[in-house]
Amino acid sequence: MSITVENLTHIYNKGLAYETIALEDVSFTVPSGEFIAIIGHTGSGKSTLIQHLNGILKPTSGEISIGDIKITDKRVKMVDIRKRVGLVFQYPEYQLFEETVYQDISFGPKNLGLPTEEVDRRIRKSMQLVGLDFEEFAERSPFELSGGQKRRVAIAGVIAMEPEVLILDEPTAGLDPKSHQDILNMVEEVHRETKNTIVLVSHNMNDVAERADRVFIMDSGKLVKSGRPQEVFREREFLSHIGLGVPQTTEVAALLSERGFQVPEILLRADDLISFLAERLPAGGV
Amino acid sequence: MQHEGNPLPKNRKKETERLAQDSIIQIHDLVYTYRHREEEINLPAINGISLDVERGSFTAVIGRNGSGKSTLAKSINALVLPTSGSVIVDGFKTDEEAHLWDVRQRVGMVFQNPDNQLVSAIVEDDVAFGPENLGINPDEIRTRIRIALESVDMYEHRKMAPHLLSGGQKQRIAIAGVLAMHPDIVIFDEPTAMLDPGGRKEVLDIMKQLHEEGITVVLITHFMEETIHCDRIVILDKGRVAIEGSPVEIFARTEEIEALGLRLPFAVEIAAGLRAHGIHVPQDILDTDGLVKYIVSESDTEMKRSKA
Repeated sequence: MSITVENLTHIYNKGLAYETIALEDVSFTVPSGEFIAIIGHTGSGKSTLIQHLNGILKPTSGEISIGDIKITDKRVKMVDIRKRVGLVFQYPEYQLFEETVYQDISFGPKNLGLPTEEVDRRIRKSMQLVGLDFEEFAERSPFELSGGQKRRVAIAGVIAMEPEVLILDEPTAGLDPKSHQDILNMVEEVHRETKNTIVLVSHNMNDVAERADRVFIMDSGKLVKSGRPQEVFREREFLSHIGLGVPQTTEVAALLSERGFQVPEILLRADDLISFLAERLPAGGV
Repeated sequence: MQHEGNPLPKNRKKETERLAQDSIIQIHDLVYTYRHREEEINLPAINGISLDVERGSFTAVIGRNGSGKSTLAKSINALVLPTSGSVIVDGFKTDEEAHLWDVRQRVGMVFQNPDNQLVSAIVEDDVAFGPENLGINPDEIRTRIRIALESVDMYEHRKMAPHLLSGGQKQRIAIAGVLAMHPDIVIFDEPTAMLDPGGRKEVLDIMKQLHEEGITVVLITHFMEETIHCDRIVILDKGRVAIEGSPVEIFARTEEIEALGLRLPFAVEIAAGLRAHGIHVPQDILDTDGLVKYIVSESDTEMKRSKA
């Protein structure tokens, strides 16, 4: 399902002394089935933006459509937005509360008023998608699971709503490197299987470079740049200036070029850099 | 040391060096168990750790989620007391109540979420909170606030409200609050997990600076890049020390690193990938600067060779 944002502005505490412009005239379109990433330093407006996409915040001005529904229209019911747009907050495992994994994942679909069999089907499906074995985990308490497993349960709870737009706010924060990769692989797997639209908010430029179709850069409440990773990560100085960086692969390539070892194209993955260098360096060496 | 002109026999010398080495933290056979919520059993979070940390050193503690890192950190400043075994900080046992404040004064902690660590509406009040609780006189407190805020480069923000600062700046205020207590040791428990790239760099630079100033730094992190300039890396797994050593030693053990749920720092990963292609990249390359220098010098050599 596509996302269309037109001239979105959000002002906190409008009319008060502490009035802050959190979003200023943001417009963009995300076609159905695209995987986009939003980057920007803390306070740049990322969180405010994604909270508009599932109706938690209402714009001061501007309009948002998800598919053919204008969600900023006052007559649209929240439940109809939630069916379409799932939001996984930062540290979503803090919001687990039920006694078993099964019950926790069932919470959302039950609230949609679905019949029991459909709720059960969705729980099984979403557990499979996030890589939690049904027999092993369904009846366990979410609180006795590892950090990575808890987060999978929390994400399964959102996926069980079968949203056509899935938004994830830093889904790997605080996870160890293995769980970090596992969660991102899982998101890609869900994306491949369900063809949903993904919006990933991340501080990790490597992840963004490796996985996103397009990257949106936020700064001071504005959408300052967007494009394919190869395009946006060309702007090394600009990104550093606004408190961000480039993927390490791009960084090494840039440092090499500066020192006379030309790396012509923008490389995004470690493997690309390795193959590129392997062809140009003599075997053996010191 | 007193026989400088007259060297000791080799084994005696080694023994003297060992004694001269000053361990500010001594952990001996530490076990910590917690009660399971439903089943009536005790589970170990730490399952027999012995570890000494040298005064003034920079130690990184890494390991997968649930390996015992945070519990270990809390054991060092007596937020968690041993079920068995002991933790001694600068000569004080953490489980002797009479010395609780001797321990706490020596060990400062910085946590993951800066918002949970700031308590006041104005930056300088926040930094004053710790020293005030130690009963230090107001003049001395003012001096400490100034020095602490200067050392994290936030003195000009002293009158601001913490919630108006960036994540990295808030974390620097939290660090200043710890520094104002004049700790000997600062433990950082995933201090950069919630920060953007700019904020992460700010905090990392401050940790390096504190180490250079002689403070003992213990860093718990999931970012492998942050460990490459440490003196020593300790990897925990299932409440035990799995492996430990210098960064070069640790990151040479590629397969073990992966089996422990971790990964290689970026430059090491590239070096390992190049080695798989038959290029003999030296083992001591850990960071991107080292990697870039190596590649440039190799290609220069190759160019000269092909010209000749």
